[in-house]
Amino acid sequence: MTGVTLKCVDKDFGSTKIIDNVSMDIAQGEFAVFVGPSGCGKSTLLRMIAGLEETSAGAIEIEGRDVTQTEPAQRGVAMVFQSYALYPHLTVFENMAFSLRLARAPKQQITKQVNEAARILKIEEQLDKKPSKLSGGQRQRVAIGRAIVRQPKVFLFDEPLSNLDAELRVQMRLELSLLHKQLGSTMIYVTHDQVEAMTLADKIFVLRGGVVQQSGTPLALYDDPANQFVAGFIGSPAMNFLSATVSAVTTAGVVASIEGSDGQSLEAQLLDTTLEAGQKVTLGIRPEHMHICESGLSTTVEMTENLGGVAYLHARLMGGQKIVIERRGERQSHQDESISVWADPKHVLVFAQDGQRLR
Amino acid sequence: MLLVITLTAAAIWIFPLYWAFVTSIRDESHVVSSDAGLLPDMLNLTAYSDALFNSNLLTWYVNSIGTSIIITVTVLITGMMCAYALSQMRFPGRRALYAVVLASFMIPTQALVVTQFVLMNDLGLVNTWAGIILPQLIVPVVIIVYKQFFDAVPKEMREAVLLDGGGEYTLLFKVYLPLNWGITTALAIITFIMAWNQFFWPFLVTTSENMMTIPVGITQVRDTFGVNYARVMAVALLGAAPVAIAYLIFQKKVTEAVMISSGVKG
Repeated sequence: MTGVTLKCVDKDFGSTKIIDNVSMDIAQGEFAVFVGPSGCGKSTLLRMIAGLEETSAGAIEIEGRDVTQTEPAQRGVAMVFQSYALYPHLTVFENMAFSLRLARAPKQQITKQVNEAARILKIEEQLDKKPSKLSGGQRQRVAIGRAIVRQPKVFLFDEPLSNLDAELRVQMRLELSLLHKQLGSTMIYVTHDQVEAMTLADKIFVLRGGVVQQSGTPLALYDDPANQFVAGFIGSPAMNFLSATVSAVTTAGVVASIEGSDGQSLEAQLLDTTLEAGQKVTLGIRPEHMHICESGLSTTVEMTENLGGVAYLHARLMGGQKIVIERRGERQSHQDESISVWADPKHVLVFAQDGQRLR
Repeated sequence: MLLVITLTAAAIWIFPLYWAFVTSIRDESHVVSSDAGLLPDMLNLTAYSDALFNSNLLTWYVNSIGTSIIITVTVLITGMMCAYALSQMRFPGRRALYAVVLASFMIPTQALVVTQFVLMNDLGLVNTWAGIILPQLIVPVVIIVYKQFFDAVPKEMREAVLLDGGGEYTLLFKVYLPLNWGITTALAIITFIMAWNQFFWPFLVTTSENMMTIPVGITQVRDTFGVNYARVMAVALLGAAPVAIAYLIFQKKVTEAVMISSGVKG
């Protein structure tokens, strides 16, 4: 059954199109993540689902019901805001009970639902405190608790972890994941942090300029990006992009010489290509797929970031193009060393000049 | 040195109050005599008993308290609701309406007195509480201050309430107002003091002693032989006492209110 469906949704602010003909299906119980750079429209899209922004065109359905013109409170959604938006003059209990009290729910039911949510989030001890007495992590739990109490069909999270410090963010990320498993509800999560997207999502929607660039499971997007934007956005450190010119077309793919590298080239596997020799392309190789070898592309290591388990060698090719090479268990710095690198053709992605992936 | 200057300034400021008190406990014949010294030389409470039992002081108290409370409550409720609409709701003419509120702030009340008096007279409200109260309900500064504070409430708070199923009244009375209790208290105190001390308008609109407020009533304290200074001072001190006591209790809030309404603090 579908949880949330968007059909050709648009959002205009005056003459500016913020969301452009977006359609998507999010299954019931799925954890969907909208990811993209600042200004890509991901928060606007979430707010449109919540009913906080009007939809200029198209339709939004929640569990099969068209809610495009429905008031926010009637849509069966609950939202967790980046700033938590807790009512500072109310206690944690009152914050969590707010919606039920407005709905004039019986006192017994309110107490039961709030206590249950507090138990799930382990904040039973904080129920009598005001939000100002809580830490950032506890406030975030209360905000989630306030959403749980409403028993919504869909949970909406708008960059909920961005105000937390790095350690707490990792912890809360895991807890959110567990909470999703425990509740089994449909969740839509907005973030600009692709690590959060990769770790939390069942399905990622990558947005840019109000348009969904690609959607799919985190690994599908990582391994098989539809275009150069998605390839560059998903993965940390980002994929290496090398400008190249097709020098030969073979039955297995193409050979492309790297710009400014004195004829040095890389092979890429392509199933079906209309490319011809002399055409400009961009090669994409993830840092973990670049290997040091005896003969290959000549590079000079400019800097090494060694994190212990993994090291990132920042190097420059002959023509000046930069690449990052990932090395597991590396103990040498390779600083200022000239090394040769190579990539397996099956891991070399080819992008046309308009950024579209050639397969 | 600074201490000396401060103490001198304080002494200069307090002298009229001290003199009023000394005068009020003197015998009327002694008040205007040439040998009256600076120090209190007697404790004659006749002026106070006269003020309390032989004048309409208690009626004036009731009028002052009644009109001031009604003015304070009405000004706060209407000002708050107007400010909320201007700050949080989107409707055509919102900016123009706010400009009108700002413009009304720039018109001196004295300029409207004649028109207001004619209007009250036409409505038959001269010598009534309504006549005293109605023109004093226009306090644009309350709207401006409230709007400033409502503007500062994060947008997410409003959205959270909308998602929780609340409407505009829930937003105003369960979120925006409780979040701004501090400024509400401050505005209430300052509006009450202003209403209590208002002289010019109540002086014009009331001619019957039974409808006068304390500041106006003071002008009526005279006997057959003219002004009785001791009694006038006693009435003035008794009239100022409630506000002075309220000020002492809420000193911090009053200072805050004056700073907020004058734009020193926002």
